[in-house]
Amino acid sequence: MYRKGDNAWYALFVLPLTLVFVTVVVIPFFIGIGYSFVKWDGMKLNPMTYVGFDNYSRIFADSGFWTSALHTTIFTLASVLIINLLGLAYALIVTSRLRVRNAVRAVLFMPYMIGGLILGYIWQFIFSDMFKNLGQLTGWTRVFFNWLLDPDYALVAMIVVTTWQLAGYIMIIYINGIQSIPDDVVEAAKVDGANFWQTLFRVRLPLLMPAFTVCLFVTLSNCFKMFDVNVSLTGGGPNNATELMAMNIYSEIFLLSNYGYGQAKAIIFFIVIASITLIQVYQTKKREVEL
Amino acid sequence: MKTKKLLGILLASLLVMSLLSGCSLFSGGKPADKIIIFQSKVEITDQLKACAKAYEEETGVKVEVWETTGDDYLQQLKVRLNNNQHPTIFSLAPGAESQELKNYLADLSDLNFVDKIAENMAHEIDGKVVGIPYTLEGFGLVYNKSLIDASKVKDYDSFVQMLKDLKDQGVNGFSLSSESYFLIGHILNTPFALLDDPLDYINKLVAGEVKMQDTEEFKEFAKFMEAIREYTNNPLEVTYDKQCGDFATGKTASIHQGNWCYPMFKDYDIDFEMSLMPFPLMGNDKLAVSVPTCWFVNSQVSAAQQDAGKKFLEWLYTSETGKKYLMEEFKFIPVVEGMESPNLDPLSTAVSKFAAEGKTIGWPNSNWPAGIVDVYLQPVTQEFFTTNMSGEELLAKLTDAFVQAGNK
Repeated sequence: MYRKGDNAWYALFVLPLTLVFVTVVVIPFFIGIGYSFVKWDGMKLNPMTYVGFDNYSRIFADSGFWTSALHTTIFTLASVLIINLLGLAYALIVTSRLRVRNAVRAVLFMPYMIGGLILGYIWQFIFSDMFKNLGQLTGWTRVFFNWLLDPDYALVAMIVVTTWQLAGYIMIIYINGIQSIPDDVVEAAKVDGANFWQTLFRVRLPLLMPAFTVCLFVTLSNCFKMFDVNVSLTGGGPNNATELMAMNIYSEIFLLSNYGYGQAKAIIFFIVIASITLIQVYQTKKREVEL
Repeated sequence: MKTKKLLGILLASLLVMSLLSGCSLFSGGKPADKIIIFQSKVEITDQLKACAKAYEEETGVKVEVWETTGDDYLQQLKVRLNNNQHPTIFSLAPGAESQELKNYLADLSDLNFVDKIAENMAHEIDGKVVGIPYTLEGFGLVYNKSLIDASKVKDYDSFVQMLKDLKDQGVNGFSLSSESYFLIGHILNTPFALLDDPLDYINKLVAGEVKMQDTEEFKEFAKFMEAIREYTNNPLEVTYDKQCGDFATGKTASIHQGNWCYPMFKDYDIDFEMSLMPFPLMGNDKLAVSVPTCWFVNSQVSAAQQDAGKKFLEWLYTSETGKKYLMEEFKFIPVVEGMESPNLDPLSTAVSKFAAEGKTIGWPNSNWPAGIVDVYLQPVTQEFFTTNMSGEELLAKLTDAFVQAGNK
C-alpha cells in the first residue's frame, strides 16, 4: 500500500548510498574510459597524449595479458566448481542432525574472516617450508615439495587457498537456501518413498536454484577479480605462471606507470567479467522454480 | 512537503561536506611555519622525527614527518602529489624515478652547501642541481672473513672454486635471495657497470641494436649465474631475512648484499669478522657504490614553503645539530665536505674505503626502464632458477625483457 511519506523514507535510505556509489564507482568508471584513450604515466604535470584506440589494439599483441587471462580462466573454473561443491556439502552437513553442527559451522566459516593478504602469507609458509620439511620427514617428495616453485602446482596452491577462504562463506548462503525449503515438501517426498539421494536431486536441489544463482555469481566475480591472495601467496611467480588478470593490470599501471594502456586493459577486463556474470545470472535465473 | 525538507537537509549536508573537503585544497597557501617531509628510508623514520623536533626547537618551524611502509613508497608519493597533498620535501632514487617526476622538482642550485657536495654526487637534471644525496651505499659480496679469503676470489675460476670448496665443507658458499632486487636487480648491475658507456648500451639494448648474448661481460655473467644455480641453494627459497640469518649463523659464507643489511645482524651474536668485496665478474675489483636516494624539494608548493624546505636542508647539512643527526643517528656516510662519521659499521667502512680509493663502479641499474626489475627481470630469473635453461637462454630472455619494458 502506498503512503504519502514513503518516498521521503526511500530517499533517506537510498540517496546517501547512491551518492557514495556514484562518486566512488560510476564517475571514476567514466573517467577511466577516458583515460584508456591516452598515453600517460599518471602524473598530473606530465604530458597526456591522445592515441585513440591504439591502447586497445596493442592489447591484442600483448602475450603477457593473454597468458594471465588463460591462468585466470583455469583458476576461476576450478575454484568456482570446487568452492560450490564443498560449500554445498558443508551446508548439507551442518543442517543435518549432526551433534557438533554449530561448532563445525563456526570453524568452517572462520577462514573467511581472515583477510586474503594475511591468509596468503600464512599459506606461503605452509606450501614452502612446511611441505618441504614434510617431504624430508616422510620421504613422499612427489607430493610434499615446495609447491610455489612449480608453475602448475603454484596455481593449484592458489585454488586451494581460495577454496579454503570462500567455501565457508558460500556455505552460509546455501544453509539459508536449505532452511527456506518448506519441510512439508521434503516430508511428502519421504512419505512417497524417496531415499536421501532422490530427495536431494529431485526436491532439494531444484528448490535451491535461487541460492545457486547467488553463489555462482559471488564466486565467479570474486575469483575473476582475485588479487590479494595472488599478491601475497605467489606474487605471480614463478615466471609469471600464476599471474592473474587483476595483477597484470596492477603491474602495468602502478609498476610500469602506463596508466592509459593499463586502463584499457581494465576496461576489457570489466567487459569480460560483466558479460560472463550476466550470462550466468540469466541462465540460472531461468532454472529457478517457484513454489 | 516532507520530501522537500529531507532533500533540503541532504543537500545542505552535501554542501557542508564539499566545503570541508574544499578547505584542505588551500592548506598549501599558508605562510611557512610548517614543512612536511615524506621519505622512503624506513630505517631512519624515528631518528628523523627526533631530528624534526630538534629543528623546531632551534628555529620554531614545525616539521611533520609522514611515515611509509617502504615497499610502496613511490606509489604513495605519486598518489599524494596527484591529490594536492603536497609534502615539502620528499625522496626519490636518482635516475629513472627522478626523471619521471622531474616536473615536481625544485631547483636547489642556490643551497649554500651545493659546492661542497662530493664530485658527481649532487643529482643534476638539465644542468640544475635538484637532488641532495643522502649517503653512499655500496653492494657486492658481504662475506665471512673466517670462511673466505677475499684475496683468493678474483675471477670466475676462483669464485667457482670457492663455492665448491665450501660446499664440500657443508657451507653454502654464496646466496642471493628471492626479492626482485636481491635476486637479479643488483647482481645484473655489475656487467652493465663494467661496460665503457653503460647508458649508451642501455639505450641500444632497448632499441634492439645490441644483445646481451653478444656482449662479453654478459656472457661471463651467464657463466656465473649457471655456477650459482649449480653450487648454491635455490635463492627462490631464501627470503632476505633468511639470507641474513644464515649468513650471521655461518651457514652461508657470502651473500650478495650491501652495507644497508648490517642492522639485520643486530639480533645475532656474530663471532666472525665480515666485510664487503666486489663481485669478481671479469676480474672486477671495484665495488658498486652510489647514492641510493636524494632529498628533493617539491616545486608545486608555495614559494614560502619551498624556501622553508631549502632552509631545512641547509640546516641539516651545515649546522652542528643537523650534521650530528646525519652522521650519528642516521649513520650516513659523508657526501658533503666538513663531515666525519666517527663510528661506521664494518660494511660501511669498506664502502667508504673503496670510495676513498676511487675503486668504485656506478649503478646503471637506476637508469633501466621504470618497473623492469619487478615486472620483467624477476619472472625470467625465476624461470632460470626453476628449470634447466642455459645461461645463454637467460641472456636472450633478459634482452627481450629490456626491449619490451623500454618500448611501452
